[in-house]
Amino acid sequence: MSIRSTEPVNYREVDDENFSDEDDDIDKDFNIGNKRKNQGNTNDNQKKRKAIEAMETLKLDLKDENLSDEDLIELTPDIPKDYIPDAVSKNFGKSDFSYLKLKPDHFSRPIWISPSDLRIILESFSPLAEQAQDFLITIAEPISRPSHIHEYRITAYSLYAAVSVGLETDDIISVLNRLSKVPVAESIVNFIKAATVSYGKVKLVLKHNRYFVESTQADILQMLLKDEVIGPLRVLENGESKNLTESAAPLNDINIPGTKKPEESKEKTETEDIFASVVGNKDEDDDLDIVHSFEISHESVEIVKRRCQEIDYPVLEEYDFRNDARNVDLEIDLKPSTQIRPYQEKSLSKMFGNGRARSGIIVLPCGAGKTLVGITAACTIRKSVIVLCTSSVSVMQWRQQFLQWCTIQPESVALFTSENKEMFATEAGLVVSTYSMVANTRNRSHDSQKVMDFLKSREWGFIILDEVHVVPANMFRRVVTTIAAHAKLGLTATLVREDDKIDDLNFLIGPKLYEANWMDLAQKGHIANVQCAEVWCPMTSEFYQEYLRESARKRMLLYIMNPTKFQACQFLIHYHEKRGDKIIVFSDNVYALQEYALKLGKPFIYGSTPQQERMKILQNFQHNDQINTIFLSKVGDTSIDLPEATCLIQISSHYGSRRQEAQRLGRILRAKRRNDEGFNAFFYSLVSKDTQEMYYSTKRQAFLVDQGYAFKVITHLSGMEQLPDLAYASPKERRELLQQVLLKNEDAAGLEVGDDIDTNFISKEKRAKLEESQASRTAGSLAGLAGGEDMAYIEYSKNKNKELKDSHHPLIKKMYYRQKNKEKKALNK
Amino acid sequence: MLVASKGVLVQCDPSIKALIIQIDSQSPGIILEELDDTHLLIQQDKVEIVKNELNKLLSKNIYDPFEDDSRM
Repeated sequence: MSIRSTEPVNYREVDDENFSDEDDDIDKDFNIGNKRKNQGNTNDNQKKRKAIEAMETLKLDLKDENLSDEDLIELTPDIPKDYIPDAVSKNFGKSDFSYLKLKPDHFSRPIWISPSDLRIILESFSPLAEQAQDFLITIAEPISRPSHIHEYRITAYSLYAAVSVGLETDDIISVLNRLSKVPVAESIVNFIKAATVSYGKVKLVLKHNRYFVESTQADILQMLLKDEVIGPLRVLENGESKNLTESAAPLNDINIPGTKKPEESKEKTETEDIFASVVGNKDEDDDLDIVHSFEISHESVEIVKRRCQEIDYPVLEEYDFRNDARNVDLEIDLKPSTQIRPYQEKSLSKMFGNGRARSGIIVLPCGAGKTLVGITAACTIRKSVIVLCTSSVSVMQWRQQFLQWCTIQPESVALFTSENKEMFATEAGLVVSTYSMVANTRNRSHDSQKVMDFLKSREWGFIILDEVHVVPANMFRRVVTTIAAHAKLGLTATLVREDDKIDDLNFLIGPKLYEANWMDLAQKGHIANVQCAEVWCPMTSEFYQEYLRESARKRMLLYIMNPTKFQACQFLIHYHEKRGDKIIVFSDNVYALQEYALKLGKPFIYGSTPQQERMKILQNFQHNDQINTIFLSKVGDTSIDLPEATCLIQISSHYGSRRQEAQRLGRILRAKRRNDEGFNAFFYSLVSKDTQEMYYSTKRQAFLVDQGYAFKVITHLSGMEQLPDLAYASPKERRELLQQVLLKNEDAAGLEVGDDIDTNFISKEKRAKLEESQASRTAGSLAGLAGGEDMAYIEYSKNKNKELKDSHHPLIKKMYYRQKNKEKKALNK
Repeated sequence: MLVASKGVLVQCDPSIKALIIQIDSQSPGIILEELDDTHLLIQQDKVEIVKNELNKLLSKNIYDPFEDDSRM
C-alpha cells in the first residue's frame, strides 16, 4: 500500500519532465506559426506562458472596452458627446449610466430611473416617499417592496392603466422629473410618450345596450374605420351596404363615414358629459371635448378589442351606470354600520374616477377585505350583479358577506352551483356562481341549462371575478364572452402565475387599477404582523440514501416524512401551544397529513372529511381550550376562515407555487388578535435539507419576499432533543417509519383532488385519473397476517377526530352553538 | 500484514455523506472507509472530483430567480 501511494508521485514527476521536454518543440512550432521573433529563450517556459496569457487578457480587455463603448452609444443616443468613460465604467457594460449628472439637490429626491429597462428605484425612507409611492403605483408596476428600497418598473400596461385613471403624458413626465435624482433620460420620455399617445384614446362604451367605439380625436376613429378588421364590423343604421362605407371612409371627413349615427351619439355624449363633469369632477377637460363614435355589434366587441390591442390603440371600457335607464336598478346599499378602510376607498376611487365604472383588477392581500371592495363597488353601480368565484364554499361565503354588509334582500340573491339552481324572482338581483359552472360546455342538466340561458339572456351591470389569477385564460374568455356585463372587476391577492398568462388578464378584464402595499397595511394594523421562518431539517442518513435512490415522486414522500421534520413540527407545536397560540399545520400531501396528525394526536381535515365532522373540528378549534392545533390539507388554503389562528406550520406544499404560499400566509393575516400590543403571528415552513424541497421553498417565497417579508432561516431548533416523548427519537423507530414509507404506493405522493382552485380547472380526464386509486399487492405470509410473526395489533395513533364528540345536552347544545354562531358571524370580517 | 493507506478525512452532514456514497457507487474507488454518520475517509486525489460532483448535485436544489422558468 505504501508503495502504491508513492507511485503516483513518481509518475507525476516523470510526467512533468516529459512535458517540459516536449514543450520546447511545441513552443517552437507555435512561435513559428505566429511569426514571433523571440525564439531564443524557450527554456523558461513558465515566464513565457505568463507573458502570452497577459497578452491574451490584454487583448480581450481592449476588445471588451471597445465593444462596451459602442454598445453604450448605440443603446442610449442621449449620451453626451464629451462623456469619457472612467476607469471602472467598463465593468458595468451596458448599465453604465455615470454620464447622468445628479441634480444639485438630489439627496432630497427619492427616485432614480434606469434609462435602459425603465426600472425605478425608490428610497422608501425619503420624506417624499409616500407621495412618490402613490404616484408610482399608478404609473408603474411594483416589482419588489422591502423596507428601505422599492423597485418599480414602467411597462406599457402600467402606463395604460395610468392613462385610464386620467393621467396625462406631460404630467407623468414632469412629476417623474421632479422626483428623480437625475434628469429623466430621453429614452424614458420617448417610451412614455409612445405608450400613452395611443393608450386610452379609444373608448368602448356601452350605452342603451349598444356598444360604441368612442374617441375624442376624429382621425383615430378614421384610422380604425379604415382598418381591414374593424371597418366592416361597424353597425350602420340606414341600411347602407358595407361597400359604400368603405369607399366613403378614405375621404378623410368625419361626417361622411360617420353618417347619422355618430352625430346622434355625439349629442348624447355631450349632454351626458356635462352631467358627468358635474358628478365626477376629475376629467372635465377630457369629457367636454367633442366625442366621436361609431357603433359595433355585441358579437364583434371581442374582435374589435383584440384588433385594437394589436394596432396599439387598446380600448378603454367604461360603463356609464348613472345614465343606464334600460337596466333596472337593484335595491342595494351598504349598511350604515359598514366601514370602508382608507385603502379600500382608494382602490375604489381608481375604479369610479370620473363617475363611470372602469373595468380592471384590484390587488389586495388576503384578509384585507377584498370581498368588501367588491360589495361596495356593486353598491355603487346598483345594477344586477354576478359574482364568480372558484369553489362552492366561496360561493356560500360571498352570499353571506353580501347579506352581512349591505341591504340586499335575501330573495334577490341567487346561487348557481351544482346543488343550487334557483334564480331570483325580482327584476334585478345578485347571482353567485363558480367559474366552472358558467364556463362548462359539456352537457348540462335541464335545470342548469335553464339557469344558463337566463344568465346569457340578460344584461348584467357588473361582474365580480374573484381570484382572477387562477383561472385559465380560455375558461375566462368563455365566461367573459357568454355573460354580457357592463363593468368587470377582478379581485386577487397574488397577481402571479407560474405560467406567463398574467398578461392575458390585461386584455380580458382590464388594467390593474390598484395594488396595496402589504407592509404598509401591516404597519397600520389592517393585517397582522407576521414573522416568517424557514426551518431546515436535515435528512437522516437512512432517509437520504433512499431519497437518492428513488423516483421523483417517491422522493417527495421521503422528504415530507423525514423524521427530523416530524420532530421539528412536534417541537414547534409544543412550543407554540405553551405560548397560547392556535396553530394550523398545512400539508398538501394527505398521507403525510394523516400520519402526522395521528401520531401527534391532533384533529385533521382533508378533502374527504365529511362536512359535519369538519364543522365539529373547526368549532372545537375556535372555542375549545383543549384543541389548539389542527391539521389541514389544501382544502384549508382558501375556503376555511379561522381568525383564531396565530401560528402556521407548513410541512408540505404544492411544488413552487408562489400563490399558495401567499394564500397560506393569508390564513393568519386576519388574526383576531392582530391589534394587541406587540402581537406577532408566526409562519414556519419546514424544509428537508439538501433535497428538492429547498429549491421549491425558495421559489415559493419569491412573491412574499417581494412584498417585503423577510424569511429567517432556522438551522437548528435549540431544545428539540430535550423534548419529552419526542417522536422517532430512536434509530429503530426511524427505520420502521422508513419501511412504512417505502412500502407506500407512489400515488400516496400525489396531490389531493377536491373542490379547490387547483383541481377545479383541470380537464375531466386528468381529474378522473387523479381520483382513481390503485390497489396495491404485497406478499405476506399467512402466519404474519395472523399475528404469528411477533406482531400484535395495538392502536397506537388514535384518531383525535373521533374523540371530539359533543357531550352536551341537545337543548343546551342548540342554545350554546346558536349563540356561538352569532358571535362568530359578528367576528367574521 | 499491516496495511496503511493515505486518505483525507471528510466531516459532513449525514445527507452529504449519502451523496458522497452515491458518487462513490457511480465511480468506485473514492471512499476508503465509512467511519460514522458524519465522517468519511476518502482518497486524497479524488477530493477535487468529489467537490465538483457535490457542487453539481447540490446546485440542483438551489433556486435562482434569474434562470426561472426552466424547471417546474
